[in-house]
Amino acid sequence: MRRRQFIALGLLLGVGLLGFFLWPRPTQSTSTADLPIPPQASPRVLFAERTVPIPEDNPQTPAKVELGRRLFYDTRLSKDGTVACASCHKPEFAFSDGGKPVSTGIFGRKGLRNAPTLTNVAFRRHLFWEGRSPRLELQAVGPLTAHDEMGLEPEELAQKLGAIPEYARAFQEVFGEAPSLKTVTYAIAAFERTLVSYNSPFDRYQAGDDSAMSQAALRGMELFFGEKGDCFHCHVGPDFTDDEPRNTALYTVYKDIGLARATGKDEDVGKFKTPTLRNVALTAPYMHDGSIQTLREAVQHYNRGGEPNLNADALIRPLGLTDPEVEDLVAFLESLTDRSFTTNPALLPPRGKGSTP
Amino acid sequence: MRKCWLVFLLSISAYALSAPVELKVNLRVGSQPLQWGQTYQTPQGLRYQIDLLKFYISEVALVRPDGREVRLDGLSLAEFKRDGPTQGVRVMMMDVPPGQYRGLRFNVGVPRELNHLDAGTQQLPLGVNSGMYWAWNPGYIFYRLEGIALLPEGNQKWVIHMGTDAFRLPVRLHDLQTRRVQINIPPSGRVITLNLDVAKAFEPGPGGAFVDWRKQSLRQLHGLSPETSLLMSVVYFNMQSAFSLAQ
Repeated sequence: MRRRQFIALGLLLGVGLLGFFLWPRPTQSTSTADLPIPPQASPRVLFAERTVPIPEDNPQTPAKVELGRRLFYDTRLSKDGTVACASCHKPEFAFSDGGKPVSTGIFGRKGLRNAPTLTNVAFRRHLFWEGRSPRLELQAVGPLTAHDEMGLEPEELAQKLGAIPEYARAFQEVFGEAPSLKTVTYAIAAFERTLVSYNSPFDRYQAGDDSAMSQAALRGMELFFGEKGDCFHCHVGPDFTDDEPRNTALYTVYKDIGLARATGKDEDVGKFKTPTLRNVALTAPYMHDGSIQTLREAVQHYNRGGEPNLNADALIRPLGLTDPEVEDLVAFLESLTDRSFTTNPALLPPRGKGSTP
Repeated sequence: MRKCWLVFLLSISAYALSAPVELKVNLRVGSQPLQWGQTYQTPQGLRYQIDLLKFYISEVALVRPDGREVRLDGLSLAEFKRDGPTQGVRVMMMDVPPGQYRGLRFNVGVPRELNHLDAGTQQLPLGVNSGMYWAWNPGYIFYRLEGIALLPEGNQKWVIHMGTDAFRLPVRLHDLQTRRVQINIPPSGRVITLNLDVAKAFEPGPGGAFVDWRKQSLRQLHGLSPETSLLMSVVYFNMQSAFSLAQ
């Protein structure tokens, strides 16, 4: 009885094994004839084409973008009528604050942080230097209401804009309702999603133009994307940022504690979001507090490995770059400048007013 | 036809089962009614005025004599602005089963399950138009008190913005041990009035720590920031006893 069982089991196992080896499985194709031929014209495209992500509750329309543009450049959006979004995000500086370490808000009040560029801001997953705001609509609430920026309560803003007939009409047309903080932020966000920049020498080189970048910039690019310069781990992707908060060992003791301000955690002290490097040559000074004046000094900071700090990112360490290598990296960073972006009339103030209010 | 009667009877009994209760708030400084524009003094001798108070009230429950509670839905934003009323201001309407209660409890804050939704799509009293949305620290400010400090160098604005899930403030105004708290709700409903002593925020905490507006960094008291969280905790602790039932 028992023997029979064993035999049956053995047979079953044998058939199973045979089946496993003989079962037809897909064979690796050896012919490449049916594979698409890589486009010869641009052998160096690093990034797939992308479309600007648009939230479902705020579809883009030309009228909304135009309204957002008018609001962006309008100083009436501040308590004392002196500050517009564009006061600190000036187009000629790739929508940053033109050499100022920190910006000036209403009644001459000084902020604490460097105004970031708005280049390709539509693609950012996290906003503000802490990276705690999830989208442009909600981010805009910050500067509009902060007492050292534009300083308006939602009711004041609604009242002020509602009393301006052109705005009352435009909001009715675009949103079907009166101006409010919410609709203002939605319109501004729609305009901000048009601030896209893809025409730097680096982009043209990517597209196949061998003469777009200088030799120095090309050497810098190798350093940037190689382990020696090691910039690309954080400054990653088409906009050269991972959108994550990191401590770059700028100080041993941070006056502005960064992400910890929101989380209350010691390990978050001194963490700020990795900024994009697009148009970075136009957005000096650098770091969250604008404490570094030039690109060269910024690269040197990373080359030195920063100051001792327990929260410093694991990648921060002395890089051992020579002076010429630092120059090459700077040349690469300068090749990320897109002048067609800063002079694009569609992004400048409407009706050709002075570019900054 | 029979169905209609059933619906009619049900609606009648539902009406009988709930009484309208109005929750009102008086703002106080110590035991006196708050007056806009009046200068007050902290226990440490700092002179100040109050300009604005807004806070959320939610998760209200009435407590029965046996300790069970009747939980009530709803979230309200109480708003007190300069030159507006400060006494007997309605902050919430509720439907409550009539009966004997030994007090109530509620939270000053937004329930967690509402606090982290997309503020762009939320409606009043939530949403960005509430003036309580925290752009850099997503979620809402739960208790927003603002004013000016009269300092030797001039008037300085100060703000206390209490929020984040860590600072949702539980207020307990019930007492099962003694008969001190009695809230009888007749079928016709009633008004429950609370006193809120806004000056409680400035009482000293452990080791005498207090909100010293002479230091610029303490004029902006926010959520969890390690720079100010000790004092935020002092304010939070003080505020737990800032509400009382008006007699």
